[in-house]
Amino acid sequence: MIKLGQQIENKFLEAVNNKSGNNVLDCYQCGKCVGTCPVSDFMDYPPREIMQMIKLGLKDETYMANSMWFCLTCAACSGRCPREINIPYVMESIRHLAIEENEYSDSGKVKQIMKFHEIFIDMVKRYGRNYELRMMAEFNIRTRNLFKDMHLAPKALLKGKIPLGVKKVKSTKAIQRMFKMAEKLEKTQ
Amino acid sequence: MARVGVFVCFCGANIGDFVDIPAVVEETKKIKDVKYAIEYKYVCSDPGQQMIRDTIVDHRLTSIVVAACSPRMHEKTFRKALSDAGMNPYLLEVANIREHASWVHQKDKEAATEKSCDLIRMAVAKSIANEQLHEISVPVTKRALVIGGGIAGIQAALDIADARIPVTLVEKSPSIGGRMAQLDETFPTLDCSQCILTPRMVDVASHPYIELLPYSEVTELDGYVGNYKAKIKKKASFVNFDTCTGCGTCWQKCPVKVPNEFNMGVDKRKAIYSPFPQAVPNKPVIDAEHCTMLIKGKCGVCAKVCEKGSIDYEMKDEMIEREIGAVVVATGFDLWDPKPYEEYGVGRFKDVITSLEFERMVSANGPTGGVPVRPSDGNVPKNVVFIKCVGSRDEAKGIEYCSKVCCMYTAKHAILLHHKVHDSHAYVFYMDIRAAGKGYEEFVKRAQVETGATYLRGRVSKIYKKGDKLMVIGEDAQIGQVVEVEADMVVLATAIYPYKDNPDLARLLGISYDKYGFLSEAHPKLRPVETAKAGIFLAGCTQAPKDIPDSVAQASATAAKVCALFSGDTMKKDPMIASVNPEFCSGCENCVSVCPYQAIVTEEIPMGHGSEEVRTVSKINEGVCQGCGSCVAICRSMAIDLAGFTDMQIINEIVAI
Repeated sequence: MIKLGQQIENKFLEAVNNKSGNNVLDCYQCGKCVGTCPVSDFMDYPPREIMQMIKLGLKDETYMANSMWFCLTCAACSGRCPREINIPYVMESIRHLAIEENEYSDSGKVKQIMKFHEIFIDMVKRYGRNYELRMMAEFNIRTRNLFKDMHLAPKALLKGKIPLGVKKVKSTKAIQRMFKMAEKLEKTQ
Repeated sequence: MARVGVFVCFCGANIGDFVDIPAVVEETKKIKDVKYAIEYKYVCSDPGQQMIRDTIVDHRLTSIVVAACSPRMHEKTFRKALSDAGMNPYLLEVANIREHASWVHQKDKEAATEKSCDLIRMAVAKSIANEQLHEISVPVTKRALVIGGGIAGIQAALDIADARIPVTLVEKSPSIGGRMAQLDETFPTLDCSQCILTPRMVDVASHPYIELLPYSEVTELDGYVGNYKAKIKKKASFVNFDTCTGCGTCWQKCPVKVPNEFNMGVDKRKAIYSPFPQAVPNKPVIDAEHCTMLIKGKCGVCAKVCEKGSIDYEMKDEMIEREIGAVVVATGFDLWDPKPYEEYGVGRFKDVITSLEFERMVSANGPTGGVPVRPSDGNVPKNVVFIKCVGSRDEAKGIEYCSKVCCMYTAKHAILLHHKVHDSHAYVFYMDIRAAGKGYEEFVKRAQVETGATYLRGRVSKIYKKGDKLMVIGEDAQIGQVVEVEADMVVLATAIYPYKDNPDLARLLGISYDKYGFLSEAHPKLRPVETAKAGIFLAGCTQAPKDIPDSVAQASATAAKVCALFSGDTMKKDPMIASVNPEFCSGCENCVSVCPYQAIVTEEIPMGHGSEEVRTVSKINEGVCQGCGSCVAICRSMAIDLAGFTDMQIINEIVAI
């Protein structure tokens, strides 16, 4: 049972609104986002329910959901939202808030997705862009599933979908400087 | 010697494709008395009508049969063609071979053709017995009676009076203003209800064409459209309105306290009272049920303090009569009593209140000075739960219909709560949000987004008390989970219910009402302001739940109807009505009881043959009779006949097939 009315203010809603630059109260629960979302079937709460949970200030339940981790930020939902809410921004905001407050689901899938994000950022830090082959290898090693999707590799390689090497950007040092600046900014905030 | 002309219409493909029209015409020509028969593509067209006119003159026809669509469609058109050719328009008969033959027998052309021939034979036979009829002229009394002084009654009275037609406005309570006077602000613009209403109330009081009768009730209505006679009871106010200045000393000094119905019983009024400060007329009345002077003969304080000597304990109810031509009924609504909702603690928990009680609380001139307070301890509530559809759309405990305004006024209440108590939060339990109206959806969005009211989809299941809080349990269907809201106060959006005396009033006026007591309109779409009784019109919530703009629009519509009715000195009326042959009438009065329009009265006529004895016979009021024929069917002595549908005509039709 959800208990409401103990607090007048909805701090969670305020935090999400501030971070995402949207007003979640705009949502009138039509569900168009859910029908649009290519991965809503895999989420434990589809986007519409996440919006309602934020409206009700259900912080813990929202953080524990896997929805924002499954969100691909493809923005099909926001392209169709009649209230013009940028739902991917809202999802991104919840991801950030959950990490900031160190409160998120410890399910295997969520862990894998978070690892994927980490490796991706690592690739960008190193090369200035994604190095698909290494990314795949690292992901498979770090998730301890060496042969995952291996059967697709020959075909993909033949078609040139997975380049064997990586072409670094002109100045990886500049990229690294950017990351450092961003980290600094984060700390000062 | 009858000379009948028959015109058979193809109606394009509508009839032509399914009825063998040339064969029908050939068959028709064989009927005795038919002197002329012809088919035509569209008889209703201009050339078609011209053909009828020319043929009447050329062939010296004595009656006309048009075999075409339903007489509901084009009877008037063809009657006009007859009168243009110098023929009495009532010598026309329409054989409906479209709705009654071609449309219903599309798969069987032979049968449709045969049926068409039969229908024409019947019409020809009937037309031979047609008589020349003439429209009835009825005189009109140009004065309107408006029953109810709420916003609908006020608007109707003002609009009619502005057309320089005298109006008598009857209001049962001491002041006009009605429910709208009780409202604080109005959706969707949040303009102050009193500020927009009171100028209209003052206009009514000062209008030279309006006679305002407050504290009065209509007790009788006789007559018929254009010629009604109304009896009105002016209830004893025990205050002489001519000398009273409305100073207010009397009600300040009166020692008797009574629950204040204007404030929904939230506070008390005195036994001598004026309902609210802007009342029109602003004169007090004495509530005879509670005044100790009138009950026990002791007290008399008000008479002692009144400087003008306006108090008169001996005053009696007064009956007055008015001759009027039309009536506008605008008796408004009551709130549905939520008592059956025991699970909401109605009657047990003081802090569960109705929407109108909340409305009075947030009203600036209300009992709490514009701030909502908990009736239990007088504290200002922070968390307020609003429950919509209390009574509405609940077949088990309430009524089936939607009260139409609750979605909007609840959104308004959520906004007003936030305006009056800044650190509050509104929770709204709803089933649907019905915000159809100009600026309405935007208004609901304002409540949800700007005010931040939490809307939860679901009916509240129960409310229980925990300490001094009310725990409200229901489902939020949006996330499919049970929610429990800790609330300081609960406001029930109770349904709109017709004014409780509506059935009595309807019987008195001779109009119909539905199972709830809403007065019935003549046609739900095309005649929404008329009743089945000519000259009686409906405005506002007396007909169905409505908001203020709709009530005002309907009131103005009734004014247009009244003005149209009074546009001439006499009214034209269809002559196809019943008449009694007193020679045959046995005075059984069966016809009186079956007449749906109360058009039949009885009269005493001399027995004849020089006898001094009298006998009772029925008499039909031709102003009221609508020609339905119920009396003709019930009359066992065949004394009643209906012009245009005489027994002879009907028998002719039967014999023809």
